[in-house]
Amino acid sequence: MGEFKGSSASGDLTVALSNDELHILINLVEQLLELLGERNFAHHYQSDDPFAQLMAAQMMNMEPLSAPEDPVLNRLLPNAYADPDAADEFRKYTEPRLRQIKQQHLMYLREQLIFPVDHELPKADIAITDAQQWLIAINDVRLALAVRLDVNSESFDAFELMPDTDPQKSLFAVYFWLGGIQEKLLDHI
Amino acid sequence: MSTEIEELEELDLSKFFDRPWVTIVWDDPVNLQSYVTYVFIKLFGFSKEKAHELMMKVHTEGKAVVSAGSREAMENDVQRLHEHGLWATLQREDHG
Repeated sequence: MGEFKGSSASGDLTVALSNDELHILINLVEQLLELLGERNFAHHYQSDDPFAQLMAAQMMNMEPLSAPEDPVLNRLLPNAYADPDAADEFRKYTEPRLRQIKQQHLMYLREQLIFPVDHELPKADIAITDAQQWLIAINDVRLALAVRLDVNSESFDAFELMPDTDPQKSLFAVYFWLGGIQEKLLDHI
Repeated sequence: MSTEIEELEELDLSKFFDRPWVTIVWDDPVNLQSYVTYVFIKLFGFSKEKAHELMMKVHTEGKAVVSAGSREAMENDVQRLHEHGLWATLQREDHG
């Protein structure tokens, strides 16, 4: 699983992924990008369209922004203050930017995940041109998966005892696989 | 005539009594210990030992203060920690 070659310092770091692994990772990245795209006003700020700018300006004067209802978004875009009023006020100014940064990391990772031209190859060497962005994007994917799977400190033991027929077993396997990728990537930074 | 009073008037007492703000990182069951250590080194320039120590504090005590200073600076730290997927909040330093 996920053999790394080269090094980040010399700029030739790669990870070998099978077509199945690529498929799974691409799906997860795209799902998360879609989720992060919801309630996204960030693009208005850069728009040349005067009407869009006006709407964006109104939004900035609007009510404070409350925490997202989706538990995954709530984990990726958490409150900065324990006090909900202070958190909402802060979120109004910072959430669009935080969302945008996370989207950039994920879009970067998505672009790196290219299927090999030769489909017969058992594994493709995927270039990791920016290991730090890779790492952060993989971490967000893991966080999202963990929220959906309700991961806690006993999850690994539970996973090992799970029968192979359990529909959640494969998702847990992906979750732990991503942790392994992340661990190895950290060794190469 | 005493000159000390004039000098004293320039004393800003808030410097002594105003509690600074702190950034707190909270434990979560997902982020890898090695990743959290890496983020602490990257964002705060800690030594590997210091970063590891703080990470272990988060892990064993459920939270740790990672930085202290002005509210603005702490808001910036929290934002950067969120960018890296760590669970962080800011608050006034707790003396109790």
